[in-house]
Amino acid sequence: MLFGGMLGIERGRKGRAAGFRTYMFVCMGAALTMLLSQYEYLMLNGAWNDIAGEIGIRTDVSRFGAQVINGIGFLGAGTIIVTGKQEVKGLTTAAGLWASACMGLAIGAGFYECVFLAFLLIFLCIRFLPYLETAVVERARNMNIYVEFTSMDDVGRIIGQIKAQNAQIYEVDITRGKESRAQQPSAVFSIRLNHRRAHEQVLTAIAELETITMIDEV
Amino acid sequence: MLSIFDPLRDITVLSVAVRMLLSAVCGGIIGMEREYKRRPAGFRTHILICLGAAMTTLTSQYLYLVLHYYTDMARLGAQVVAGVGFIGAGTIIVTRRQRVKGLTTAAGLWAAAIIGLTLGAGFYEGGILATILILLAELLFSKLEYHMLEHAQEINLYMEYNGKQTLDCVLRFYREHELKLLDVEITRSSDGEKITSCAIFTLRLNRKCTANWLLNALHAIPGVVLVQEL
Repeated sequence: MLFGGMLGIERGRKGRAAGFRTYMFVCMGAALTMLLSQYEYLMLNGAWNDIAGEIGIRTDVSRFGAQVINGIGFLGAGTIIVTGKQEVKGLTTAAGLWASACMGLAIGAGFYECVFLAFLLIFLCIRFLPYLETAVVERARNMNIYVEFTSMDDVGRIIGQIKAQNAQIYEVDITRGKESRAQQPSAVFSIRLNHRRAHEQVLTAIAELETITMIDEV
Repeated sequence: MLSIFDPLRDITVLSVAVRMLLSAVCGGIIGMEREYKRRPAGFRTHILICLGAAMTTLTSQYLYLVLHYYTDMARLGAQVVAGVGFIGAGTIIVTRRQRVKGLTTAAGLWAAAIIGLTLGAGFYEGGILATILILLAELLFSKLEYHMLEHAQEINLYMEYNGKQTLDCVLRFYREHELKLLDVEITRSSDGEKITSCAIFTLRLNRKCTANWLLNALHAIPGVVLVQEL
C-alpha cells in the first residue's frame, strides 16, 4: 500500500486520471488477493484438513492472483481515451496501473527482494524517462499534425505548404466542420520530413497560411 | 540452453535483479522505436508492461520454488497474455475513413509483455533473442516500407473541381487509360453561389502513365481547379 501510494503521488502530481488513491487501492487489492489465497491454503492444511482429505480438494495458490492481472487489464483499458484529434491518451497510466497491480501480487506473496527493485525501476521509469522521451521525439522525422482551418477550399494550399517543407505526406484524414455548430473543418496529416529539422520550425512555417486557425502536433 | 545463464536460473537476489533489469532494457529497446515513430505507446509504456510481466512470472516461481506452495507456475503468467491484450485494445482506433490504426502498436505492446514473461521466468535466451528479432524486423521492415511507398505503383491524388460533370469526366478519363481506382473520398462545400468539391483518389498506375503525365492531363480537363499529389 505504501509503495502503491508513492507511485500514485508521482502520477497524481501531474494531474493524471489515476492518482494517489487509485494506485494505492490497486496495489493493496492485489496484495490482499494473494494473502487470501495463501490463507485458504494454510486453512486447508490446518483447520479444514479433514474435510479437504474427504472431498479431495487442493487449492492452487496463484489462482486468485492470476485473475487480478486480467482484471486490472480491463481497468487499465478504461483509462485510455481517444481524443478528437486521433490522439491516444492515458496509455502510460494504464500500463503503470497494471505494473502496480503486479507489484501488489509480489508484495502479497512476500517477495520483497523483487518488490524493492521493481518499485525503484518503475519509479525511475515514470519519473525520469519523460526527459529522454522528449529528446527522442524532437529528433524524430515523423510528425502528426492536426490543423483547423476556415474553409474547405484551402486544403490544397495547406497541402502545398506542407510539401514546401520538404516533407512527404503519408496519410490525410479530413473532417468537415458543421457550420451550424460553429465547427471548423479539420485535418490530420501524417508526414515524414526528408531532413531532420526542429518541429517548431515546420509548424510555424505551415502556420504562415492565414486560413489556418489552429495547428498542433499530436 | 547456454551454460552462462545457469547460475541465474534459481531465485536469488542476483537473478531477480538481472531479470528485472533485463526486462526493463528489452522493453525500453522495443519502446524506443515506437517512440521515434511518434506512436501513442512509447518508452515508458513498454518498460512498465515488460516489468510487470516479468514480476508475475518471478512471483509465481517464488511461490513454488521458495515458499513451496502447491501451485501451477504458469497460472499467473498465462493471465498476462490476456490482460495485456485488453490494454492493447485501447490503442486501436478506427478513423472516419474506416481505416484501422494502432494495430502494430498493440501487437508490439503485447510482444513486450511476452518478452517480460520469458525474462522473468529466467528463459534469458528466448527473451533476448526475441528482442533482437523484433528490433531487426522494425528496422529492416520500416526501411522496406518507406522504400515501397516511394516506388509504389499507387498514387494518392488530391483534386478540387467544380460541378458534377467534371467528376464524370475524370472518372471516364481514368477508365480510358486503364487506371485502376482503388479508393475515393469526396467532400463538398458550398460558399454561397460558388460550389467547389474536393476528392482524394487512390490510383494504381500502369506503365504508360507516369505521375507527372497524369497530373498534367488532369489539369487539362475543364472544371478541374487544382490537382496535387499527396
